[in-house]
Amino acid sequence: MRVTHWLFFVAFLVLVSSGLQIFNAAPYLDASDKTDPARRVLQISSPADGVGTTTIFGRTFRTTGWLGYTDDGMGGKSARAFPAWITIPSYQDLADGRRWHLFFAWIMIACGVVYVLWGVGRRDLRELVLRPRDLRNVLPMQLYYLRLRKDPPLHGKYNPLQKTAYTLVLFVFAPLLVLSGFALSPGLDSWAPWLPHILGGRQFARLWHFVAMLALIGFFVTHVVLVATTGVMNHLKSMVTGYYRLGAHDGTGL
Amino acid sequence: MKRGLFLASTISAALSACSPIGTKLNDSRGFHDLLERAEQLNEGFIGTRGRVTLYKPNEISADFPVNSLDTPSDSLYAALMRDRFQSYRLIVDGMVDHPLALTLPQLQHLMNVIQITRHDCVEGWSAIAQWQGVRVSDVIAMAAPRAGARYAIFHSFDRDANGTPYYESLSLEQAAHPQTLLALRQNGKPIAPDRGAPVRLTVPTQLGYKSAKWVRRIEIAASLAHSGSGKGGYWEDQGYEWYAGI
Repeated sequence: MRVTHWLFFVAFLVLVSSGLQIFNAAPYLDASDKTDPARRVLQISSPADGVGTTTIFGRTFRTTGWLGYTDDGMGGKSARAFPAWITIPSYQDLADGRRWHLFFAWIMIACGVVYVLWGVGRRDLRELVLRPRDLRNVLPMQLYYLRLRKDPPLHGKYNPLQKTAYTLVLFVFAPLLVLSGFALSPGLDSWAPWLPHILGGRQFARLWHFVAMLALIGFFVTHVVLVATTGVMNHLKSMVTGYYRLGAHDGTGL
Repeated sequence: MKRGLFLASTISAALSACSPIGTKLNDSRGFHDLLERAEQLNEGFIGTRGRVTLYKPNEISADFPVNSLDTPSDSLYAALMRDRFQSYRLIVDGMVDHPLALTLPQLQHLMNVIQITRHDCVEGWSAIAQWQGVRVSDVIAMAAPRAGARYAIFHSFDRDANGTPYYESLSLEQAAHPQTLLALRQNGKPIAPDRGAPVRLTVPTQLGYKSAKWVRRIEIAASLAHSGSGKGGYWEDQGYEWYAGI
């Protein structure tokens, strides 16, 4: 379990940076099946030399240096959606970006399979899943965190907000990320034509893939902030050794 | 809070180390070979199964991108364009019992499929077009491949700026997929010179770079080792996967 956690972390970093490398080859996202500028949601471009722009839902922002016109990994700057410091390889190389992405996608899937099998076997997952009876405690827990309520509502190992976050990640965003990735494959679309269809088409699947990535990054950042503010060393030790020292903290935060 | 800062800086360091470490590893032959192993898994799990979605005429893309390779500039192709491809012959040879040299009228006579399919480029875009042509499997069957033949290699008229010829290949199983066509017409018109005239391949079960344009010869072979750099195609020789179903 702990091994998959850290392997998952590495695989996720690699998939994000190689995914952005792949995105750079067609730096736009359409809510459609075929490419269709009329249904464009996001476009990162360089309308003029030295200028980078990002257009979201038709609104254009100047993002020179960050998006659109960026560091090209060859010691200069050029028309490039995501900058070199965040992509694998740093320089523009779609072929190798794909090699990385498709290799680490298998590692991610292997981690996911081990995680789910292990979790179901050890009932760890059950403690994580949000159930109907937890719903009434979601708001009180939020109020407690906002310092509007003195005590947290009663809960098990994980509180209702943690359960909400984990449930969304496990049952919405992670499956969406995987399925939308599958839908990008013309070979898979050939034997499962319903797959791109339920996602609104192949280009829409690219959009979902991007959105699910952002959601998981959001979860990941929150996760790290919470670990950092609720006893870094104890949490880190527990994720390496498997033991968690109780006392100063009650386990909230993960 | 100090610990929070410590962790935050560790994480930022990990994030910003990701790209340089990855780039270094990318240059390592051993690691790159490991990455390339995933292709076998992809081919094994995905393969060439089922049928791609067929579209309606109103879904055809108004603007089908031409992409990086332009109309071939070599003199042979220029001469063919001048005589409106009357002297064009599609050669089918290699490990076959009946080598073929098919004229355009002969191919038009064989034409038996119209399909509207989506073309997915490796870059990420998709475009829908109608293709009219003959199944690759029909042409290959006419030539009668010999035992031991495994691949169909599609040689093109096109060359890149360095003079490297453009070619592609499919396994005979992939070539036998009923939606793998030698197309003569696109959206109801003869295929235009910049889109692969007079005959191009369309392989909707794989990414667009497999769909070779300007096909002049289909070579049936037991191995890919003797064409180009031996990886099975122009783009494959530059590092792209031979199995392009994903």
